[in-house]
Amino acid sequence: MAAVASAIELKNVSLSFGSNQILTGIDMSVEPGEFVCVIGASGSGKTTLLRMIAGLLTPTSGQVLQHGRPVRAPTRKVAVVFQDYGRALLPWRRAYANVSLPLEASGMPARDRPKRIRELLAKVGLANHENKFPGQLSGGMQQRLQIARSLAQEPDTLLMDEPFGALDAMTRQTLQDEVMRLVAERRTTVFFVTHDIEEALYLGDRVVALDSNPGRIAYDIKVPLPRPRDQLTTREHPEFLRLRREMFEIMNKIHA
Amino acid sequence: MTAGFTRSWRGWLLPLAVLAAAEAWFLLNPIMSDTLAPPSKILLGAVETMTDGTFLRTTYQTLFAAAAGLLIGMTAGTICGIVIGLLRTADRLSSWSVEMLRPIPSVALIPLSLLTFGYGYRMEYAVVAWATFWPFLILTQHALKQIDVRLIEVSRLMGFGILSRIFKIMLPAAAPRLFTALRLAVGLSLVVSVTVEIAANPQGLGYGLMVAQESLRPDRMFALLVWVGILGWALNYFLVRLEGRLFAHRAPGLSADA
Amino acid sequence: MIRSRIIDIVLGVAGLAALLLLWHFVTALELISRVFLPGPAATIAALEWGLVNGDLLPQTIATINRMVQGWLLASLVAIAVGSLIGVSAIARAYIQPTLEFLRPLPASAIIPVAISIFGLNTSMVLGVVVFGAVWPTLLGTIHGFAHVEPRLVEVSRLLQMSRWEFIYKIGLPNAVPDILAGMRLSLTVALILAVVGELLTAQEGLGTAVLHAARSYRAADLYAGIILLGMIGLVSNYGLAIADKRILAWKS
Repeated sequence: MAAVASAIELKNVSLSFGSNQILTGIDMSVEPGEFVCVIGASGSGKTTLLRMIAGLLTPTSGQVLQHGRPVRAPTRKVAVVFQDYGRALLPWRRAYANVSLPLEASGMPARDRPKRIRELLAKVGLANHENKFPGQLSGGMQQRLQIARSLAQEPDTLLMDEPFGALDAMTRQTLQDEVMRLVAERRTTVFFVTHDIEEALYLGDRVVALDSNPGRIAYDIKVPLPRPRDQLTTREHPEFLRLRREMFEIMNKIHA
Repeated sequence: MTAGFTRSWRGWLLPLAVLAAAEAWFLLNPIMSDTLAPPSKILLGAVETMTDGTFLRTTYQTLFAAAAGLLIGMTAGTICGIVIGLLRTADRLSSWSVEMLRPIPSVALIPLSLLTFGYGYRMEYAVVAWATFWPFLILTQHALKQIDVRLIEVSRLMGFGILSRIFKIMLPAAAPRLFTALRLAVGLSLVVSVTVEIAANPQGLGYGLMVAQESLRPDRMFALLVWVGILGWALNYFLVRLEGRLFAHRAPGLSADA
Repeated sequence: MIRSRIIDIVLGVAGLAALLLLWHFVTALELISRVFLPGPAATIAALEWGLVNGDLLPQTIATINRMVQGWLLASLVAIAVGSLIGVSAIARAYIQPTLEFLRPLPASAIIPVAISIFGLNTSMVLGVVVFGAVWPTLLGTIHGFAHVEPRLVEVSRLLQMSRWEFIYKIGLPNAVPDILAGMRLSLTVALILAVVGELLTAQEGLGTAVLHAARSYRAADLYAGIILLGMIGLVSNYGLAIADKRILAWKS
């Protein structure tokens, strides 16, 4: 058990900007293949936490480890899916070329790329849109494209920052199921930030709730719902309803 | 405050380094040059042009021609712009003619202006008027077309006549954009008048530059060149500040740099 | 929609025809002396004769050559230097204030300096065209590089892209709209400075042609030259507008 290092490990991590304490004393770990959802109100530092794990921010104190090694800068083994897909995609590159970007960065030979890119686009349901610019795609399709791009990195760990926050309810549910299917295929570790309790319970193996000002871990609960999950049966499962109630009460207490 | 200071401090470093390097180079290579001069001699040249009257006379000539041309171009351009901006038929009738005439480079008219008016102020401000006419025409027209429809409806409901509608509602609403046109045209008028003076007209700062060059006085030439630069920069700086002050209460997008 | 487009064209042509008619009557009735304003027929005849029998064609080509050469050279320099300055916040802090000071300087004002360095010859004219045409594209490139979406900077970090990769895969494409806008302005400046250079040096070109025509009171030839210069401006603007549309297809 101790032989396998955690995919992500945070040891007493704190972060402050000047005198502004954002996060304090965060201790948590995410095991390989685990799907962890982090919820918290805006200002609880959940996005900041994700950016530290990605290596985009350095903690003021404490340590961030990936597979036992300290994180000093971003690596391609960790992919990030941002909420604002409209800004994270390269607007001047067509869908095809956006997916190509990580392959270029990792030095994949040009002749091997087309097959891989088309596979990925097909996987997220964009096979017929490879020649469109991001600006010509709907919000949901742009987010699919960003997911395809992140998968092109073949990441061990996927960090998702409220990826469906800007999408309508129908699109959101479809994408939730697709993400679960895609990460299950490769047993990818997922760190998923959201402010939606139901989304967190539906997707996660575990849900971590953050308290705010400064951000710290308030609760960390396991979600023992069976997989594969389903929008109807899972959301009607007695355990789901029980956990949902519990989480609502926890969140209300935190923000009281 | 601090950020502003460090920024300006850094901005000064490059020009000061260039000046110091030029001065040092001339100290180490003390040759008489007909083409270049060390900063110290340029400074003396500047003092000389100021004391012998060249400086004041040429500056006045250039600014007068630029201002006169600007005034003509502004008046004609704004009036035409209002007509085209308000009447759709006028817009349609003029569109092709504007498309054909506007690309004619202002300097192409220097020989024509010379033929028509001979040397002097008139040939210069005619060219400046042509050059500044177009930005006023285009920007006035755009400014009027972008007025909120609601404002125009309000003015109709109040029963204003066409003239009071133009002067009470439309021009004030379009004012920030009109001012932007003015700022751009002021810069353009200085550029064009100096160009006309360099190319043909024997007066003003442009001609002063040519005379200094021909009489092998690089010190005077660079002194005048720096002055032309300061003049252009100061006019623009002043107008940008004024623009900010005049339209600070408007939505930020309106007075933004075009 | 289509009807409205047709009306646009019909009225536009009608307006232009009316303008030509006005020109015709003003000259036919001698309201303005023909020494200064020849009739449209005489002007078109001069244009035709000049292009077919005279040397208007080689002169037009000479001016276009000068303009395009200077413009291309200026664009290359501006994009290369602008990328280097724009990509570094430190370089911008030290260099940009100087550039902002130099920008309003009339490019023609450095002609005397160029004459004293190069003499009255072709390379002087080219040098001045390049100097003047460099500014709009240079400042556009710097602006484009300085305003990269922060999210894309993060994407480049996450993908561990090298600085060089960042420049040509994110910085440069991001600056393209600003670069193109700068290049359009630059082309106008290049034409103006090419003509001014010709006026001063009597090198072959339309500037020299119109100056000679004016000096020898050949008004029809003068107008023919001005029309050709207008056409150069019109066609080059139009061409760049089309190029813009194609290159910036992703913006629509």
